[in-house]
Amino acid sequence: MLTNNQKLKPPFNYKTIILVLLIFFIFIFSFKRVGMPDVVDRLYEVTLDTIGLKDKSKIADGLSRISNEMWPPVIETKKDINLILNFDSSNLPMYSFIENQKVQLYETNIETLELEYIEEEVLFLVEPLGYLKVVIIKIIESIEIAFWASFIALIFSIPLAYYSAKNYAPNKIIYYVSRSIVSGLRAIPELISVLFMVLAFGFGPAAGIMALGLHSAGFLGKFFAEDIENADKGPQDALKALGSSRWRIVKEAVLPQVMPQYIAYILYILDRNLRMATVIGLVGGGGIGQELKGRFDLFEYGHVTTIILVIFIVVFIFDQISAKLRNKLIGNSS
Amino acid sequence: MVYPLLKIDSVSKTYSGNVIALNNVNISISDNEIIAILGPSGSGKSTLIRTILGLTSLDEGNIYFRNNNFKDKNYKIIRNSIATIYQDFNLVSRSSIIKNIMLGDITKISSWRVLFNLWPKETQDKAMDIIEEVGLNSIDFKKRVENLSGGQQQRVGVARALIGAPDIILADEPVSSLDPQTATDILNLIRETAKKNKISVLCSLHQIDFAKSFADRIIGMKEGNIMFNKPAKNILKFDLNKLYK
Repeated sequence: MLTNNQKLKPPFNYKTIILVLLIFFIFIFSFKRVGMPDVVDRLYEVTLDTIGLKDKSKIADGLSRISNEMWPPVIETKKDINLILNFDSSNLPMYSFIENQKVQLYETNIETLELEYIEEEVLFLVEPLGYLKVVIIKIIESIEIAFWASFIALIFSIPLAYYSAKNYAPNKIIYYVSRSIVSGLRAIPELISVLFMVLAFGFGPAAGIMALGLHSAGFLGKFFAEDIENADKGPQDALKALGSSRWRIVKEAVLPQVMPQYIAYILYILDRNLRMATVIGLVGGGGIGQELKGRFDLFEYGHVTTIILVIFIVVFIFDQISAKLRNKLIGNSS
Repeated sequence: MVYPLLKIDSVSKTYSGNVIALNNVNISISDNEIIAILGPSGSGKSTLIRTILGLTSLDEGNIYFRNNNFKDKNYKIIRNSIATIYQDFNLVSRSSIIKNIMLGDITKISSWRVLFNLWPKETQDKAMDIIEEVGLNSIDFKKRVENLSGGQQQRVGVARALIGAPDIILADEPVSSLDPQTATDILNLIRETAKKNKISVLCSLHQIDFAKSFADRIIGMKEGNIMFNKPAKNILKFDLNKLYK
């Protein structure tokens, strides 16, 4: 016979039920505030539309229109040759050609003062891979942003990590100061801090680099410091007993132990910065994001598709390279 | 007057929670003498060695090295004359054999050399000689320590202690994680190299047989007190009963 103390606790009691009910009511209350009924309504309409029970759904309509416009991706550029300064038809850029196209225009008839519909033939200079070239130049800028940001993060994080490792900080004050700098840097999202960086450095890559760099310095500082704190104490004791100074202990007894982890962190930060560098342009940080935002605002969804595809390919390739690099470096470093 | 190499003078240490680790311990070690500290777990052997190394602070008493007090500022001279061998080897496992051995000399290398990994030629040569001396294969000098067996790792540990040409080696249970045959080999190695290079050894052990064949003098410790302190050949069963009863 079990005594009262030995009995297993029931999986729930009245407190659990109250808690579940409370959470349920909070969800119901919040459901309306965040506009979820609308979502349900529209999804319901889309479903009816797709299975043919209802004629028109705005969402299905809009989505199908956008997806029609998004495909095929635009990789060429077309320019009205009248708008090109000093156009020389005998000296065209590589692989480009001139195309004759009919353009529909409305023009004011001077006599009747009414708008008239006319058709005009315009010569266009077509570069078949022109837009792809623009996108590639822009994504290279994004990659550059990512590398510079990671480099800056590395430079900033090394002293931060040393001073925010409990066992190497010279005193408590420095420890807490650098710890709070590290958390502070991490707490501000890049998309916010880039707004301030734009104020300081102007629109363009520099603002993006500083915003991303400082944010990821927070990450690296934290990761590095925690690894220093958790490294095997044995070798550190051995060097300490010899009377070695702190930084020498870190260099010879801590760094060799944590190096594989550090390489993994740096590659992760590089990977993350590359993904963020594509986004940061949306708010003025330079790179492919700026191009994406511009095309999106002009409803040029074909161009948007090209940009998204290029971003996807670059991120994918980089992912593969960094995985290989990580294996190789961690396998052989000494 | 000839001062003893190392003099431990009325040293006491109490850990938090009133755990007495060392209680008024007096030990004097002369040149070229091999001493084993024997005692059950928790008898204060490791604490004694850690206080000599400065890894644990002492509550009372003094430690003198050739009449230099450890509390004074001549710590660096003292440190350069003391080397240590550890129970868990305390090697940098991802570094090479030669690097680990050279680390025993790290305090004598200038900062920029440490920073850029430019170890002086003499240090490298010395390390290579010692690799042979401790019975490791010098072809493997670039091998990572983590790929070695326990016995080989402890040989690297011994080599690291020898490179600084110390006056005394402190060994904290250097063989407790090794099998009996390897343990005998390592202890023989320590004894031989110490005698050859005229180095004193203070070694904590908990196997009586090892202590008897290894040491010139055995100090028995129990609960922070010294129970006996006599030449190894004079140790009687009566003495050992004091420790393990």
